[in-house]
Amino acid sequence: MALIEVTDLVKEYKLNVRKKGLSGAIRSLLVPEFKLKRAVDSISFTIDKGDTVGFIGPNGAGKSTTVKMLTGILAPTSGSITVGGLSPFKERKKNAMRIGVVFGQKTQLWWDLPVIDTFDLLRHIYRIPAQAYKHNLAMFSEMLGLQDFINVPVRQLSLGQKMRADIAAALLHDPEILFFDEPTIGLDVVAKEKIREFITFVNREKGTTMLFTTHDMDDIERTCNRMIIIDKGTKIYDGTVEDIKRTYGNDRIMVVEFGEKAEPIRIPGVELIDAKDNRMWLRFHKDEIQASLILNRLTQKYSISDFTVQEPEIEGIIRDIYLGGIHLDKSVSGVC
Amino acid sequence: MGKHSMRSLFVLFFKYSNMNLKLALEYKLNRSLIALAIFCREMIGVVVMFLILLRFLHIRGWEIHEMLFLYSFLFLSYSLFVLLFAGIRDFDNMVHSGDFDRLLTRPLGLMYQIISARIDFTATIGHGVVGIVLFMNTAFSVGIEWNWQNSLYYVLALIGGTIIQASLFLLSACFSFWAVKTENLRNLIFFNARRIAGYPLSFYPVFIQKLLIFVIPFSFVNYFPAQYFLRKDGSFWEGYLYLTPVVGALLFYLVFLLWKLGVRSYTSTGNSVY
Ligand SMILES: Nc1ncnc2c1ncn2[C@@H]1O[C@H](COP(=O)(O)OP(=O)(O)O)[C@@H](O)[C@H]1O
Ligand SMILES: [Mg+2]
Repeated sequence: MALIEVTDLVKEYKLNVRKKGLSGAIRSLLVPEFKLKRAVDSISFTIDKGDTVGFIGPNGAGKSTTVKMLTGILAPTSGSITVGGLSPFKERKKNAMRIGVVFGQKTQLWWDLPVIDTFDLLRHIYRIPAQAYKHNLAMFSEMLGLQDFINVPVRQLSLGQKMRADIAAALLHDPEILFFDEPTIGLDVVAKEKIREFITFVNREKGTTMLFTTHDMDDIERTCNRMIIIDKGTKIYDGTVEDIKRTYGNDRIMVVEFGEKAEPIRIPGVELIDAKDNRMWLRFHKDEIQASLILNRLTQKYSISDFTVQEPEIEGIIRDIYLGGIHLDKSVSGVC
Repeated sequence: MGKHSMRSLFVLFFKYSNMNLKLALEYKLNRSLIALAIFCREMIGVVVMFLILLRFLHIRGWEIHEMLFLYSFLFLSYSLFVLLFAGIRDFDNMVHSGDFDRLLTRPLGLMYQIISARIDFTATIGHGVVGIVLFMNTAFSVGIEWNWQNSLYYVLALIGGTIIQASLFLLSACFSFWAVKTENLRNLIFFNARRIAGYPLSFYPVFIQKLLIFVIPFSFVNYFPAQYFLRKDGSFWEGYLYLTPVVGALLFYLVFLLWKLGVRSYTSTGNSVY
């Protein structure tokens, strides 16, 4: 059985429709009128133990709402969720012992106290055995460089330091599953990198199952073996990162630098997208024509001083999927 | 990583208290000044009352010390209230800021967390010192025999009064689940009721008396407990003198049920402030 099973999950928010004016205000108080907003619309997926899954989608797609239901904060409108055999909402406390939650926008650290104080409180909240606590604290400190600021009040920390401390806080009790909602939002590259490394490490060492939401594709490419794309509350892709690249990412871009000024050359299956000075950008489909063949044709006419072949950025692919440019064929959508 | 027992919840409660204490000590000067400010603000009220009363030997049978003894209940129970239930007082904020979501991800009861997580030592001291000053200056000069029965009654009445105030605040907190900001309305009602309760209930018209007994039962916070000791007015049912802890427990229970309903609504509709 999968660790997390989600079936036909639906979440509808009730939005109060407020009418204008005093009479309207009184009317809406007496006869409240609601508009339903379907934030999550019949999503199903399963996640196995040890998986690292990225939830990606534009703002308002329903990512946070899904995480809130998985962590027991919100009750589903319909559909079912089991996390390790438990219903996160109905068995909230039991489930809470087994999960860790990081909200990128909202720290769980005590703002005016040193980081270590919150850690110590968490030790009691989760009743972490002394041995495990000490071991984890030492390990996280080293990997995340916490020792530099563990005795500093949280309000004095940089965004990156705070996030590192927050992630450590969520992992102290060795949760089986870690949920992140936008863990790298607003961080600089170095901080992001450190966090990604750490997450990968914990997943490998402890077998912790990880579920992120993000709209940073890099996060997912670097840390996740699986990706679920949602848009407007529905799932539009579920599969491996490689799969999506393989299926939608066969385009390559070759940047060629010539030894002299070169005239555009016609090669079937190759599209010239840009040319500047002695350089050319050529797009081709890697299944239709081999890169070596193109080079071959080019060297017949000009000397080549340098070249690179770029894989497409997954970000671009995702954008295309959102925009409906790529129609997902169910048969290729991985472990759907 | 084990389940909590009564004992571990107790230990954790002290851990939380410890955090709050550290917080208070973190800004020693700042908090001391606030506590002092609260003390002065409240003390000015007391002094003004004292000066007014000084012009009379007694009003409708109440002497000045008896009035101030009546007053002392308000401060001591409020001080206990902010010591034990500051989380309830600040609950609206918790919902509006989204901190309540975090509580839902913890392996602990929600009310437990709300009560443990926040202690306002500053206000406790500010109000508490006023209460103690009043108590020390009156309790031994109004003819109370401090035997163990009376002492026990006193403690129970104080706790009951504390819980009554907690219930009133919790009631207003419930509305934040339904996107209604009641903070101002609550303060208006609560602090006015409290002001009215500063004088003996028998001074007021029947309508106000009923209001303070049955609707906003502030009379059980100070009037009836004081009446138990002083036996000033005979116009109220004798049973009221013993009801403070019962009113507290019952009111809290009822409001707690409503609060549970609110939590249910929150978890089905999400943060209403959204
Ligand atoms: N508490 C709420 N009440 C009403 N609507 C909400 C609430 N929370 C989110 N929404 C709406 O639900 C949709 C999904 O939001 P969310 O899950 O936060 O998306 P994401 O995390 O992917 O950006 C959005 O359209 C948002 O406006
Ligand atoms: Mg979100």
